[in-house]
Amino acid sequence: MDYVDDLVTLFPELILAALVLVIITTDLFLPRAYKWVLTPLTVAGLILAGAACIVVWDINETVYAGFYVVDDLSVFLKGATVVIGILSTLFAPSYLAARRIPLGEFNTILVTALIGMCVLASSSDLITLFLGLELMTMPSYLLAGLHKTDRYSNEGGLKYFLLGSFASAILLFGIAWVYGLTGTTNLAEIAAALDGQMSGALLVAVGFLTVGGTFKIAAVPFHYWTPDAYQGAPTPITGFLSAGPKLGAFALLIRVFAVALEPLSADWLGIFLVLTVLTMTVGNIVALTQVNVKRMLAYSSIAHTGYIMAGLAAFAATDDEAIAAQGIESVLFYVLGYAVMNIAAFAMVGMLQRDPNRYGGLNSFAGLASRAPWRAGAMAILMLSLTGIPPTVGFFAKLYVLLAAVDAGLAWLAVVIVLNAALAAFYYLRVIVYMYMRDPEAEPATLDSSPFGSVALALSVAGVVLLGIFPGAILGFLEVSAASLF
Amino acid sequence: MTDLPILTLVVFTPLLGVLALLLIPGGNHRAIRWVALLASLVSFGFSLALVGYDPGGAEFQFAEDLPWIEAFGMRYTLGVDGLSAVLVLLTTLLSAVSIFYSWVPITTRVKEYYVALLLLMVGMLGVFVSLDLFLFYVFWEISLIPMYLVIGIWGGPRRIYATVKFVLYTLVGSLLMLVAILAVAIAHGNETGAFTFSYTALRGFAYADTLQALAFVAFFLAFAIKVPMWPLHTWLPDAHVEAPTAGSILLAGVLLKLGGYGFLRFSIPLLPDAAASFAPIIIGLAVIAILYGALVAMVQPDMKKLVAYSSVSHMGFVMLGAFVFNEQGLQGAAFTMISHGITTGALFLLVGIIYDQTHDRQIAHMGGLGARLPHYAAVFGLFTFASIGLPGLSGFVGEFLVILGAFAYNGFVAAATMLVVIASAVYMLWMFQRVFFTVPSDWMRRWWPSLRDMSRNEWIALSPLIVLVVALGVYPGPVLEMLAAPVERIIEAVDGAGLTGFGPLW
Repeated sequence: MDYVDDLVTLFPELILAALVLVIITTDLFLPRAYKWVLTPLTVAGLILAGAACIVVWDINETVYAGFYVVDDLSVFLKGATVVIGILSTLFAPSYLAARRIPLGEFNTILVTALIGMCVLASSSDLITLFLGLELMTMPSYLLAGLHKTDRYSNEGGLKYFLLGSFASAILLFGIAWVYGLTGTTNLAEIAAALDGQMSGALLVAVGFLTVGGTFKIAAVPFHYWTPDAYQGAPTPITGFLSAGPKLGAFALLIRVFAVALEPLSADWLGIFLVLTVLTMTVGNIVALTQVNVKRMLAYSSIAHTGYIMAGLAAFAATDDEAIAAQGIESVLFYVLGYAVMNIAAFAMVGMLQRDPNRYGGLNSFAGLASRAPWRAGAMAILMLSLTGIPPTVGFFAKLYVLLAAVDAGLAWLAVVIVLNAALAAFYYLRVIVYMYMRDPEAEPATLDSSPFGSVALALSVAGVVLLGIFPGAILGFLEVSAASLF
Repeated sequence: MTDLPILTLVVFTPLLGVLALLLIPGGNHRAIRWVALLASLVSFGFSLALVGYDPGGAEFQFAEDLPWIEAFGMRYTLGVDGLSAVLVLLTTLLSAVSIFYSWVPITTRVKEYYVALLLLMVGMLGVFVSLDLFLFYVFWEISLIPMYLVIGIWGGPRRIYATVKFVLYTLVGSLLMLVAILAVAIAHGNETGAFTFSYTALRGFAYADTLQALAFVAFFLAFAIKVPMWPLHTWLPDAHVEAPTAGSILLAGVLLKLGGYGFLRFSIPLLPDAAASFAPIIIGLAVIAILYGALVAMVQPDMKKLVAYSSVSHMGFVMLGAFVFNEQGLQGAAFTMISHGITTGALFLLVGIIYDQTHDRQIAHMGGLGARLPHYAAVFGLFTFASIGLPGLSGFVGEFLVILGAFAYNGFVAAATMLVVIASAVYMLWMFQRVFFTVPSDWMRRWWPSLRDMSRNEWIALSPLIVLVVALGVYPGPVLEMLAAPVERIIEAVDGAGLTGFGPLW
């Protein structure tokens, strides 16, 4: 049976699925004092899944009657998914414990969402794509509202759910139109069926897909759910929400727009350019006015969405395959780098919220450098990375996008990006101002210093710096991954 | 030439110092200070090897070249020519002086302070020795953040405003420069098929006129903000007034030179056509800066602010000399950078000495110090005259050459700048008179008993600068010899250059 043989290609997903079951079962039997075991258990499972990614690297097969593709692009995204999963798992426990949020539920839901991201990354058919999307977003809604006794978390979860399902419906409607127009749901066949001519009906289809897709990445003007959902969610979970579903949604955009709708790239380029510029500018301007770090990071994540979209725009703006590949590579690099620095930055905010009544205001960062020099140093590096100062991963990610944009003839977009980066410097550096240049509050927030969190923080900062100095280490993977699209 | 990677050692010894500092407990101030000083001195020691630069030899010596990010043709390419060799020496010297001078005044967060200064050193030195445009950009940005912290943490009352302004100004310029660097590299790569950021490869390539003009504007913004050129100078007085003394020394002494160096090393040789066409505008701005800086300096009530505005004026000389494109002008520009680094660094240090004792810098609050602090007055006087450009001191050589160059370019420009030399005598001497002669102000009388003349440490910190300011004034020959070849290359690059694509711009 082919279907059984094909299971080998699903190695990472299978391990994750098994991990979900293991966590649920173990959770049942663990006495309360030993619940912490779930964290290393989950991390071990995720590392195993990461190792499985290495096994399926370079397989490049389409399996299950064209519904599922295990190409290098998908494997790269699965690897990134695992990284996101490990960091999220490590950062969460002490924050959740302080609020009596059950750890077992969190780990289960998180890993389920990760499976969704993997399916999304591997989908070669609109049906699988939608399944993966829902498998990713449903757990995300739950995660946002996981703090059941907190009304902000409830509000955030509900908003996320309502607007998210609305967006899913729009996307589904777009999928239906595409099926109606091309007679197929297979992405490659859709591309083949399109002759590059835009028609009125096609415009409707592309429009719905664009709205649905950009809703999921939180592009302006479809971003209104983001700040509330991000602010309401328990802080380490916000880190995951800002990185995980975003990675999944970009995988969706790549699959839909760079594969299925590739023949129409000249047509969707225009709307993407408008959305890109709007997203980064609005995100940054609103972030400037925030005094709550958590909310500021939420808006800044919108701005980063804009930078990442610029990579897709570069893909669409050029006929040269090498340059188009560079656009995709820049998206992949940015999504990974952004995930690492943003999850860690949110986690730092969470560490200052050991007291559940604190909501991550700028003041809680005041004078942190004298109280906790190492953590303040880590946060400073993360902020510099988000600003895009070398030698950090954030800088190189921006550089990659700029390079792709200039190469694709969008030099003006590169200028818009750097002006935005300068704007963003103001609010990121403000955190450093508070940490290093202000005196602590009268009653400074107690700092969470759980060992898991410290390990994860050290790992992410090391990653941010090392990938910033030696990005060459993963550029080879990126090239191969992006090449699987062409 | 030895096989030792001298430039790497010069640039990264301070980083080793940083790592060592991180291991020392924060309370052990004595060890921290010694380690920081040692790191800077070792770096200075390595940089002394650059004295062995052979002016008649290859253009870039002490070269190092390693692959870095091969996918994008970014390489770790280092090398110095005469210009950068001299600036590296200036940087290591002034850094060591600043670190040593800070021993007494800096008492809070000592560890972080020296970490910041040493990182700043890495960034500044890296800029001067990079021959890969991308590497250059990385170091350029690295030099930004430590200064941001130095001003923001150890600065005066309005330090946060000043430091944020400093960073945002600089960042806007430098990010635009990044786009320009990419555009230039891509244009070169598309034409030749070899994608590289190597300075020697990108130089001398005939870029399209539109690209040249736009890229030049981007480079110009980055460098002109750093220099700073009128009207982009407004961050400078704020930053200087709020910065701690060592911050001011390095800001005026080295960071401003990054801008001047950028013009001489990158803007002009990479984009000679645009440089030639924009030169009249830049010369105009430079003349305004020279005049404006001098006039505003005259009315400053604060000693530090006065010296800061005098920097605007002096750096105007640098820009003027750089863009008249003749030998005297360019040599003068480069020499003025060095001389200004020494004199202004020393002046800021001297202002710091009185500020540490009285916590005030108002000229109106001073008076009569010459009688109470004779050594201090003598040294201050020496650097005052050097700043004015008295023959026999280093300031004279550079300014004289620039004015010679300006004469060859246009008599009126030269005449205008000549007048300013008088103005600079006015503001410096007037300040000197009000601070050191006249009768002490009532305010100063309160401090009178507790005033002390220069301490041993202050003498040690200043003595190399005193020696240099006299030596370079009496015998500038060796430095000018180092500068000769780089200047010659710039003149060759712009010879007959000019934008033709869309006609004259004005």
